[in-house]
Order: sequence, then C-alpha cells, then structure tokens
Amino acid sequence: MLELIEAALRRPNLVAFVLLLLWGLYITITHHNYVKKLVGLYIVQTSVIFFLVATGFKEGATVPVITGGNDDYVNPLPQVLTLTAIVVQIATLGVSLGLVSRIYRKFGSLDEDEVLEKLG
Amino acid sequence: MSEHLPALVFLTPLATAICMPLAGHGRSAVCRPVALVAVCCMAALSLASLWSVSVHGEIRYSFSGWLPPIGIEWLADSLAATMVTAVSVLGVLCLLFADGLGDRPLGDRAVPYYTIVLLLVAGLAGAIYAGDLFNIFVFLEVVSLSAYALVAVPGGRALVSAFRYLLMGALGTAFYLLGVGYFYAATGTLNIADLSQRLPGLLDSRAVMGGLIFMFIGLAIKMALMPLHGWLPDAYSDAPASTVPLLAGLVTKISLLVWARILYWVMQPGSDGETLTIFTLVSTFGILASVAGACLALGQRDLKRMFAYGGISHVGLVLIGVGQANETGLAGAMYYLLNDAVMQCSLFVLAGFLALRYGASTLDELGRAHVRNPWAIVTFVAVGLGMVGLPPTGGFFGKLRILLGALEADNTVAAGAVVVTTLITLGYFAQVFEKLVRAGSESPSDHQTETPWPLRATMAALVAAIVGLGIWNDQVVALLVDATASLGI
Repeated sequence: MLELIEAALRRPNLVAFVLLLLWGLYITITHHNYVKKLVGLYIVQTSVIFFLVATGFKEGATVPVITGGNDDYVNPLPQVLTLTAIVVQIATLGVSLGLVSRIYRKFGSLDEDEVLEKLG
Repeated sequence: MSEHLPALVFLTPLATAICMPLAGHGRSAVCRPVALVAVCCMAALSLASLWSVSVHGEIRYSFSGWLPPIGIEWLADSLAATMVTAVSVLGVLCLLFADGLGDRPLGDRAVPYYTIVLLLVAGLAGAIYAGDLFNIFVFLEVVSLSAYALVAVPGGRALVSAFRYLLMGALGTAFYLLGVGYFYAATGTLNIADLSQRLPGLLDSRAVMGGLIFMFIGLAIKMALMPLHGWLPDAYSDAPASTVPLLAGLVTKISLLVWARILYWVMQPGSDGETLTIFTLVSTFGILASVAGACLALGQRDLKRMFAYGGISHVGLVLIGVGQANETGLAGAMYYLLNDAVMQCSLFVLAGFLALRYGASTLDELGRAHVRNPWAIVTFVAVGLGMVGLPPTGGFFGKLRILLGALEADNTVAAGAVVVTTLITLGYFAQVFEKLVRAGSESPSDHQTETPWPLRATMAALVAAIVGLGIWNDQVVALLVDATASLGI
C-alpha cells in the first residue's frame, strides 16, 4: 500500500488525471440534467487530453528546433495528438449542444426524468 | 495510378460532402442524385482497388510521400479492400433504398443530411484503411459524429436516443484515445506495423495491457458488445427508416474490424507461440453477447428492436471467431462480419419497408398486415436463412468457419455458444415468418401500389449478395486469408 502511495506521489500528473477521469464519469452517470451530463463528459475528455500532454512532458527540455545550445528536446507528437483530440472534442461538444438545444425546444426541459415522462 | 486508389476512394465522398452545400444551395432536389453518384464512383474505385490488390498485392499508401513511421500510412490489404468495397456498395444500396422508400421529405434539411451521409461513408473508408491507431481514432469519431446526427433527424423521441448514443459513444471514444495514449507512452509509436515490431518484448508491461483493455472498452461501447449495448436498440428503432440500414449495416461493424486489426495486426498473437489472455476475454464476452443477445431478441415484439438485438448477438458471434487466435477463426469472423453487414442492412431495409408500406412495426401488426409483396417475402426468406445460418447463404459458411475455429482452439464452450445462438435465432425468425405468411383477412392493401424500381433493385441486390457470398465463400475467404497470411498464426 505504502509503495503504491509513494509511486503515485512521484507522478502527481497521473493522480490528477485519474481524479479528473473518475470525477467526470461520476458527474456523467449521476446527474439527471443533460447539460451537466455534458459537463461530465467534457471533463472525461479533458482528463484524457491532460494525460496525453502529461506523458509528453520532460523537465528542462525545449522545442525540437536545433539551435546548437540545449540538446534536450520534447517529443512534439503528444502535443500534436492533443491538438487533434481537442478538435474532436470540440466537434463532439458542438453536436451534443445542438442536440440538447433541440431537446429543450421540443420538450421545454433539460431534466432527463421530465423529458422521459413527456415521452411516455 | 493504382497506388493512389485508397486515397481516391476516400476523397470522392469527402470532396462531394464539402461541395454539397454549394451544389445543393437553393435546390435541395439535386442532393440525393449527387450523393448517389458520388457513392457510385466510390464503389467503382473501391472495386478497382480490390482488383488491384488481389492481382498486385497490398498497397501501402504514404501520404505526401512521407514514409512511415514518421508519415501517415494507409494500408490497403485484401481485408481492407474487401471491407471498403462492401461499405461503398452497401452505401449505394442504402441511398437507392432511401430513394424508393419515399420517407418523409427532408425539404431544406436535404443538404446537411446528405453531407452527413457522405461524411459517414468517407469516415468508414478512412477507418478501414488507416494504418495507425490515432488515425483510426479520428475516423471513428467522424463516423460516430455523423451517426449521432443521423439518428436525431426525425426529432422527438429520436433526439433523446441520439443524445444517449452520443453520451455512450463519446465516452467510448475517450477510452479508446486513452488506450492509444498508453500504447504511445509504452512504445513511442502509433503505426500498426511499427507497433507490432516493438511490442513483443513489452507484453508483460502493465501500460500495454492497460492500453489494450481501455481500447477494448472503448470499442466495445461502439460495437454494442453485450453489457454496453444499451444505446443501440433505442437509437436504431428511433432513427429514420431510410437511414437505419446504413447505421446498422456499417457503423458497429467498423469497430469490430478495428478491434480485430488491433488484436491480430498489432499484438501478433502467433509471434511468440503463446496465446494472450486477452483472447480468452474477447471470446468469453463473445459467448455471453451472442447467447444473451439472441435471448433478448426472442423476447421482443417490435421488429426493429428484435433485429437490433439480433445484430447484438451477431457481434458476439464475430467476437467468438476473433477470440480464437487462429487463422480459421479470424478468417471466419471477418467473413461473417461481411455477411452480417449485408444481413443487418437487409433486415432494416425490410423493417423500414414493412413499417412505411404496411404500417407494420410490431409482430402483431405484421400478423394483421397481409403482406403479399413478393420482393419483401423473397428478401425476408433469404435474410432469414442467412441469419439462422442455413446453406446456401453466407451466414451458414461464416458460422461454420467460426465453429471450426473454436473447435481447432479446443474451445468447446464457444463452439456450443455458436450452436445455441443458431437455435435461438431460428426461434425468433420462425416467429416473424409465421406472422408474415399468415393469411391476413383484412384489407388486401397490396394491389394498389407497385413497388418502385429502386426498392426492387435494392432488395434484389441484397438477396444476390447474401446468396452470392455463400456460393463463392471459398473465394471470398481465400481473399481474406490472403490478408492474414503475414501474421503467422
């Protein structure tokens, strides 16, 4: 147990990632409001992006451009992946907000229980 | 020229999708023909690429001439070429079907609707060809986002189903991406061929196993594997009748294909002689899903929901084949995947036709409807034989090969599950068939309207595909085995 905590403390980024992921999942599952569900989903997606950025981090390294001075470079690929993942996340958010706004206009409510009640 | 075919197959629908708002501005009637022509061109190109691959061998396409692992690589082996051909031909049939069905007119929404359909088809082609895990993620997301939007088209109840689908699907994508991140952290590469060379020494690594599990969870949501299938029946029964064949036939199948790619082409189970535990896991989930899905289908009264659960059970069957870690099982599973795409498409074509023409969307309504349309009945018989798995349909040979694969791996439980699923499937199809042929007494509504030719063409082509895949099963499987030859399993 102690080793586990020690290993976790050496990687605070990963602890933050796991907490964010679980928090987001919890919100998505427990809340009945559609917008809050989306907030949870957004946190889950962000936590994954945070993980990608965190794995690419290297202390004291610079951009991968050869300048002759510092030879320690950061691998730029995780950041490129992150960029694409953010675009995908935004597209998902756009579609989901579009759906939510149509649900609201149709049923006059954002609460899952009320909407299901109206559907019968 | 022929080496550019994979890119052209993908770019045809994509470019048309981008031009669609220009072409359709103010004249929404042209949207459907334009989309149909684009998908027809795509089908022709994919047939050409299938021919080229089967004659000259696989095409490895490097974008902008940047060689992998640095550049982006697309892999068009015979498996990918076959699947893309299936996708584009089924795409043509689905558009034809939508043409003949005379669903509620889309009006101004025709432009976005057909743009999204084309994006869906382009995304499918991209996900099949993509040679690295991250590109697969991007294309899966293109497919999924299009699918969410298409489910929501009718409004009302469909909006809620689409939102649930989106919530589940987006979580699935997040898990898949997380798995990809784990793989990248462990190996430093995303290219499938490159990964397969770096992984053998790392199979004990917890990062690799964790990544594999996360990818499995993500893809399992998208392929509607049994405990994670909750979004599928609602989404398919509420989506527009003209769109469901496209979704049911193609969207869930793509995740299955991607999962098979990851298990075999990335993990290379034959390389070190030992079977990985993950295969047992996949096979077990397949057994559960196939039997439980079939049981749930047996209990449905609504036709679309019954067919949807039938599809869920067939996902399990494919996974049983994939989980045996031998060539017979894998080739059988991929062959069955092809058949399942055609059969799911035909089932929902029939369901849409019966609902719109006869107002029959449940079993009881079907019993009263007095269906005497020869096209629908022939299609139903063909697809019923295929789903149950009787010769000469492709379903029979697919199940047979999966069964042989399971026996080869000494997995009697899996083999038993295939047989049990077949029997239960027979049970629910017998129910539908009994209702369909029962001599209904009221309103012989059949005679006044003739079946329009696009509908007849769609149904005839689907029947031909179901039977043709069965008759030429050796040739099709030989083509698929060709792709697995390099795996050494």
